[in-house]
Amino acid sequence: MKTLYLALKYLAIALWSAFVVFPFLWALTTSFKSANGVTGGATWIPWVQYEPSLQGWQSLFGGVGGINVVKPFYNSLVVTLSASVISITLGTLAAYALSRFTFRFLWMRNSDITFFFISQRIMPPIVLAIPFFLMLRSLGLLDSLPGLILVYVALLMPIAVWVMVDFFNGVPRGLDEMAWMDGCNPITTFWRVILPNALPGLVVAGMFCIIFGWNDFFFAFTLTFTETQLLPVAIVSLNSSVTPWWSLSAAALVSIAPLVVLAFVVERFLSKGGLAGAVR
Amino acid sequence: MAEIRLAKLAHSYGNGTNALKPLDMTWRDGGTYALLGPSGCGKSTMLNIISGLLKPSEGRVLFDGQDVTDKDTGARNIAQVFQVPVIYRSMTVGENLAFPLVCRRVPTPRIKARVEAIAERLGLSRHLNSRAVALTADQKQLISLGRGLVREDVSAVLLDEPLTVIDPQMKFELRKILKDINREFRLTMVLVTHDQNEALTFADTVVVMNHGEVIQAGTPQELFERPATTHVGTFIGSPAMNFLPAVHEGDRVLVPGAGLSRTAPADLPTTDLTLAFRPEHAVAGGPLAGTVTRIWFEGADQVLALSVGDASLRIRAVAGAETVGAIVRFDVPQDCLRLYHQGRLVA
Repeated sequence: MKTLYLALKYLAIALWSAFVVFPFLWALTTSFKSANGVTGGATWIPWVQYEPSLQGWQSLFGGVGGINVVKPFYNSLVVTLSASVISITLGTLAAYALSRFTFRFLWMRNSDITFFFISQRIMPPIVLAIPFFLMLRSLGLLDSLPGLILVYVALLMPIAVWVMVDFFNGVPRGLDEMAWMDGCNPITTFWRVILPNALPGLVVAGMFCIIFGWNDFFFAFTLTFTETQLLPVAIVSLNSSVTPWWSLSAAALVSIAPLVVLAFVVERFLSKGGLAGAVR
Repeated sequence: MAEIRLAKLAHSYGNGTNALKPLDMTWRDGGTYALLGPSGCGKSTMLNIISGLLKPSEGRVLFDGQDVTDKDTGARNIAQVFQVPVIYRSMTVGENLAFPLVCRRVPTPRIKARVEAIAERLGLSRHLNSRAVALTADQKQLISLGRGLVREDVSAVLLDEPLTVIDPQMKFELRKILKDINREFRLTMVLVTHDQNEALTFADTVVVMNHGEVIQAGTPQELFERPATTHVGTFIGSPAMNFLPAVHEGDRVLVPGAGLSRTAPADLPTTDLTLAFRPEHAVAGGPLAGTVTRIWFEGADQVLALSVGDASLRIRAVAGAETVGAIVRFDVPQDCLRLYHQGRLVA
């Protein structure tokens, strides 16, 4: 019975792994194929089933008919990381205040203000495109990294506030009171006592911010022209009348690489029990 | 260490109810005090006002004659142990103990020496490098206490039902540690509890509260011997004090049909009188008689529930051969009979 259970468990894991890994495998093999290789059915084994070619990868690094992916990759990295760090910093401070102090603004209370933050993500992005465009134009920040960072902070901060308010609410208030008694002021209470207890929340919020920031295409496309190109936009520009599957596959692998690294780092942190039981 | 004075202190939570009715009280330096009362009687409110977590609606709080009402918690230099152990989960036991000194920018060698000394005193030395979360509930409470003791100039240690979540066998041990610490460090300690045993065994002075009001403050002996109200008589002592409706006849107050009586003081009103005595004060043999309706054992003693005339009462007696239905003769010494008018002690 136990063996059967184990066998079924491993079968389920194997099926799920295949489901998850298969697209990666597909992209990996396709990235080493040429036009001939991608037609005529699925092939997996290089040299035997298809002749490997570096054409796809070459087109990402300044090859004929391709792009140079280094600059957009760097831009994406700068925009995503900067916007995430700023959003998490501001969002965490805002969330702590919303969790611990009482605010009143007109008819609004803390919960309304928290909802106001979250509501920024309820409306479809297209609604924001024109206001953002006009704002950046008046600031002279269109098609620039600072402009994009500014917009991404506006998009990512609601996520940070939303995640962190929940985490701070889960940290017992007795901890604040104890810290005051031990001689902390509100700032040192936050920095030395509450924040270390909400560390798993920071990781989760950071993960969300980086994923959302890195994957965004819409604003990266509408708020830039030629000077500042982010990775998703650069990848789309690879497309032509004949879809270059090999280049697109290679580009897809490049674009997901940072997120795969992030997933491994976070997974290690979470499996160490960082999240479990961190808040009583 | 400080003398704590509460001057005309009162508090209401804004919904109109008085959490704490106006009171004046002085707690001497180095004394042990217990605030005893049912849940919601205002004892935690009083504690939070003293520690500065709550600002009183009226009145002042003075430490050694200095007004601290407007000072915040950190500036009052108070240590508080809460009902649920509060520890800094991200820190080790040693870091937890050192934290109040780190916040006060005490030099590192001094911090190290103090932490080691306090850990040694509380039996936490071998856990100094362990993560605080890994310890048991009673050890966590010791860490909470230790964070207070590590400050040499702490004004008072406030204990807000600190033994509630502790295993019964550890409660005794922890209470003993608290008492020893009080003697050793000469700290003013205030314990909030709804457990009369805890209050009576811990404190020199017990403050009984109900509905936001201090009903009586006195030594455990005073509370037991001369409860100021029928409420205190019922709340303190197990089993509770016997209260019997009485009438005023001539120069005596008596319980009709029970044979229990005492001389009436001068100017005694004629209505709403109650005679009372402790079950422990009844002595075997004598002019009074009652039928045993129930018996329960309490160690070497047994408690007999008696029906005497129309009244029912309880007496404590040495475990013996009494059976339900038997007639038991007893007496209550005159100096143990208390007289109450409208629930308040008269004589």
